[in-house]
Amino acid sequence: MTYLPLSPAIITDMIGSLCIIVLSFLALRYAWLLIRKQPENFLWGFLFYFCLTLATFAISRATGHLLKHILLFSGNQEAWRIINPISGGANTLFMISLASVTIYYHKGIEGYQAINRKAKSLKEAYDQLEIAADQLQGMNLHLEEMVEERTLELSASEKKFRNLFNNSKDMVFFSDATNHLLTMNNAGFEMLGYPVEGPPDLNLVDIFKNEDELESYHNVLRSQGFIEDLEVEFAKMDGTGISVLLSATATYDENNKFSGCDAIVKDLTRIKTMMAQLAASEKMASVGQMAAGVAHEINTPLGVILGYAQLMMDDFSPESEPGQNLAIIERQTKACRKIVADLLKFSRQSESAREDVSINEILMDVIAVTQHSLNMDHINVHQDFTQDLPPVVGDTERLRQVFVNLVNNAHHAMEQQGSGDLTMISRYDSTTNEVVATVQDTGHGIPEKIRARIFDPFFTTKSVGKGTGLGLSVSYGIIQDHGGRIEVESPVTNKQSGEKAQGTAFHIKLPAVLAEAASVRE
Amino acid sequence: MNITRKFNIFALLLPLALLLAPNQAWALQVHAPPEGIYIHQLAHLFFAAALSYLFWDVRRSAFPGKGWRYLQIFCVLMILWNILAFSGHWLGFHIDNADIIRSDGYFSSHIIGPISAIKFIYFCATLDHLLSVPALLFLFLCMRSLYRSIDKEEKK
Ligand SMILES: Nc1ncnc2c1ncn2[C@@H]1O[C@H](COP(=O)(O)OP(=O)(O)OP(=O)(O)O)[C@@H](O)[C@H]1O
Ligand SMILES: [Mg+2]
Repeated sequence: MTYLPLSPAIITDMIGSLCIIVLSFLALRYAWLLIRKQPENFLWGFLFYFCLTLATFAISRATGHLLKHILLFSGNQEAWRIINPISGGANTLFMISLASVTIYYHKGIEGYQAINRKAKSLKEAYDQLEIAADQLQGMNLHLEEMVEERTLELSASEKKFRNLFNNSKDMVFFSDATNHLLTMNNAGFEMLGYPVEGPPDLNLVDIFKNEDELESYHNVLRSQGFIEDLEVEFAKMDGTGISVLLSATATYDENNKFSGCDAIVKDLTRIKTMMAQLAASEKMASVGQMAAGVAHEINTPLGVILGYAQLMMDDFSPESEPGQNLAIIERQTKACRKIVADLLKFSRQSESAREDVSINEILMDVIAVTQHSLNMDHINVHQDFTQDLPPVVGDTERLRQVFVNLVNNAHHAMEQQGSGDLTMISRYDSTTNEVVATVQDTGHGIPEKIRARIFDPFFTTKSVGKGTGLGLSVSYGIIQDHGGRIEVESPVTNKQSGEKAQGTAFHIKLPAVLAEAASVRE
Repeated sequence: MNITRKFNIFALLLPLALLLAPNQAWALQVHAPPEGIYIHQLAHLFFAAALSYLFWDVRRSAFPGKGWRYLQIFCVLMILWNILAFSGHWLGFHIDNADIIRSDGYFSSHIIGPISAIKFIYFCATLDHLLSVPALLFLFLCMRSLYRSIDKEEKK
């Protein structure tokens, strides 16, 4: 190629000029839309002016170029020669304007950005404020819910502790600094025998039986702050005492001043009787062992004495003095053997028969055996038997022994008076499922101070030779062996009238065999 | 010329009109022929400098979004266009008028050989629209994308 044609340049120039006009107007249109949308935005303002000036420049230049081509093409060179400098000058002018706009407006942006940053931080602060306000409002709303929730929790916890307080089988009470009882649970009032409905206003002075115990209780509480397992006696409503175990904690007010106490009180009656029973049975057991040993040793020489006495009795007539003396020896030796036999019975508690026994039959047997001698002392025997009494399980022989002992004791108690009534009662207690047999007399009774000891082995108030003090302890052992209880009542309280009459009543309580159980066994 | 929208454009037209009658001695200083092209060349340099400044500033501001990247491309292309146009005008001096043959009609005018570097660059300079059209296309894209982005933001 030896030359460069200018025709492509002309074509490109013409098409390009048209494109430039179109594109610059399109750009201007969007810039216009931008400032319409956000008139306050300086950047858009700048871009709009930039595009406007650019469009002006572009149109100036493009139309100039087009005009040039058209004029030259149509051979109007002369016209173009006149227009050319005007068009070129205009182009230069607009290009300078465009450059100026670019620099001038762009400088403004910095200011605008500074303002924008301020506005942004202001807006952020405002947003933060709004969030805080929202949170505050939320919290306000939430507070009500929270209070409600807490109240519910509190009432649940209150209920739990109230239940503990109300349902406790032990006494729980709160008292103030003047010993005044603020609150006490129902178990407490029941323990002291006060009515649960409308209980009285109480003071610790009322419920402590001994004043010095109250004082020491107070001293310990104030000095130590608490009391643990203090054994004291409380006074019931009817004035009788009740032994209790007391634990208490002192309470203090906000000034750290003693303001009262919270206390838990346990009834010791049951524990005390249990302890007494335990001690008694232990005593029985050890005495039993000792007695068995002694009895065994004594039995042999007694046999020898009896044997020789009987041997010698053959040599003397019963009327003769030696014969009578030998008879006494024989009788007393036999009495000894009886004692020994009793002792052995006492110790050999486990070796006994186990059969269904009718208490009524046993009582009748005992009456039959003893009636004669009782009548001799003008003692009337009464019987009050319940028919269809359920049987008890046990050893007939040994149970009969118990009742013989009781009848003998009653006999002895009424002997001196020259008259009296002996009543034998049998009944069935359905609540405890026990057969109760009672031997009741109108004798001299048992004084309070020895009542606790009558079941002790060898305890007797009778003269030597008359009583050994084994009767009741043997009976006690037998009854216990049968799973029963023996209770003493003196003086005797009449069931119907409630009057107290002179005399003694022994109640033997034995577990009954239920009808179905009995038939199954057979 | 249909640049009639802004009053300042009118204001600029007044000295233009005066230029149409150069014979009258309005000005104290005489503006002889090469002055026009000098001013034009200076304008190109000024324009290129302004564009460089804009480019640098947009870049420094690190505005987010595609629109601002398009504006940067526009700046670069326009700077290149300025350089090309500047070179074209400048080479126009150094080309012999006899090297361009217009005798066979305007459309068949051509640059005669042998083709020197100056002649070739001059030829290229006549094709300056190959730079300015894409530049304006990017300006258009820039404006559109900026508009769309704030439009979308507002709709949110
Ligand atoms: N029914 C009663 N009335 C009054 N006191 C009684 C009665 N039963 C028992 N006692 C008292 O209890 C004591 C102990 O009685 P227990 O039967 O154990 O021995 P005892 O009768 O003295 O001698 P033993 O029965 O061995 O011959 C008696 O000494 C008596 O004081
Ligand atoms: Mg007795």
